[in-house]
Amino acid sequence: MNWEVIQSYLPLYEKAALLTLKIGWLGIAFSIILGFVCAIIRHYKIPVLHRIVGIYIELFRNTPLLIQLFFLYFGLPKIGIAIDAEFCGVLGLALLGGAYMAESFRSGLESIEPIQTESALSLGMSRTQTIWHVILPQAISSSVPAFVANIVFLLKETSVFSAISLMDLMFTAKDLIGLYSKTIECLAMLVIFYLIILLPVSIVGSIVEKKLRFAGFGE
Amino acid sequence: MKNILKKIAATGLAAVTAIGIIGAGTALASEDADTLYRSVDEIIESGTINIGVFSDKSPFGYVDEYGEYQGYDVYFAQRIGEDLGVEINYVSTEAANRIEYLQTGKVDIILANFTVTPERAEEVDFALPYMNVALGVVSHDDNVITDLSQVEEGQQIIVISGTTAETYLVKNNPEIQLQKFDTYAAAKSAFENGTGVAWANDNTEVIAFAIENEGYTVGIDSLGSADTIAPAVTKGNDSLLSWLNDEIVSLGEENFFHADYEATLADTYGLDYEDTLVVEGGVIAAAEEAE
Repeated sequence: MNWEVIQSYLPLYEKAALLTLKIGWLGIAFSIILGFVCAIIRHYKIPVLHRIVGIYIELFRNTPLLIQLFFLYFGLPKIGIAIDAEFCGVLGLALLGGAYMAESFRSGLESIEPIQTESALSLGMSRTQTIWHVILPQAISSSVPAFVANIVFLLKETSVFSAISLMDLMFTAKDLIGLYSKTIECLAMLVIFYLIILLPVSIVGSIVEKKLRFAGFGE
Repeated sequence: MKNILKKIAATGLAAVTAIGIIGAGTALASEDADTLYRSVDEIIESGTINIGVFSDKSPFGYVDEYGEYQGYDVYFAQRIGEDLGVEINYVSTEAANRIEYLQTGKVDIILANFTVTPERAEEVDFALPYMNVALGVVSHDDNVITDLSQVEEGQQIIVISGTTAETYLVKNNPEIQLQKFDTYAAAKSAFENGTGVAWANDNTEVIAFAIENEGYTVGIDSLGSADTIAPAVTKGNDSLLSWLNDEIVSLGEENFFHADYEATLADTYGLDYEDTLVVEGGVIAAAEEAE
């Protein structure tokens, strides 16, 4: 292990980590919004839309992110839609994540017994009030574990971004190995940088999980 | 609170384990380096040789429409297999992992249009050369780059990660922004889609690209030093290295690489480039050797 080498590569890894984080978090933020909207559409079987959403979810859950990125980055320009690599990364992650998030939210929504909706309605609450005050808080709390797992999964998926020329952590490591052949140092730094990014997410996630999991029963 | 502490302790432990594994890997890599490659006798005994080639770099190493490996490098690989009397297992490599494949013993020989450089020679052993090469830059017809100073700020040049073009530009033109791809196929698609003002690569490759695709011009056909391309083996694999050197010298007597050129490259380049590109019997023309 050569510490001088590690020190000289550090700025490049930091830059790469920031890019990974930037694209990762933007993609995840959009995937949460998208997943939430899709889950509501699916759960309440909104006509027409719920079929489209169903196709979208199956399409994106059953194809690899790499292929989705290839399609967005190399395929779309052929039909006249050119988007830059970073936007492509965010979009790919958001679409993939949206499909997974939708399923997690939906399982949360489905875990709520219908009798709760009926009771709320019979107490005179409106449909929106029922969803907002009765169903959603419980649904979100029960989908948190799957939700945290999705976030970690999506952050790890960013490692295929090298295919569309984004200098993320993975590509930076591969590129430096190709340039200077310091394999051990580059790979060690890669593992450590991923741990730095992902460990806090796992830790905060499990804390949030514990707090929210028992929201319904108070603490 | 206890649980959180536990969790932090557990993840800390995971991190320590990971670092431990890397450490162990380092130790193993350095101790076992001697046994990672196979001698000529071991290769013949096993009946199969593993040769790393490109699968997407036409016309040097590529997979044709029937799923067969073809090209200038592959033609040579085929002959190596015949003369050793073994089957060939082609391993598809990317530019950036060619050294890795040799150092970890995943292939016996790299025949993936591997340019000889002093930096690489520290990591692997090169045999005698079989081709000449320099760098070249291809650009779009409507904005032909004939000098690197024409590349304006904010414009990007495409390179493939792990190639000599990347090394050259990083070292000599650090002000130019590079857009890096990990495969030839991806770089080509991106360049065709209008990404980057130019694409820097081996001049053989950019000339072939401009010939095969309309709308592109090679504005710079020779950049940096004149280099050679040679087979590479794992550092220290002397038996295979000397076998390869003998093979290249004896193939020179039958003008093998000229035949190789005519079989694989003539369709793309015509016969004009034959004497410029081919190195026969491992002997480089005197003018270039002096450099």
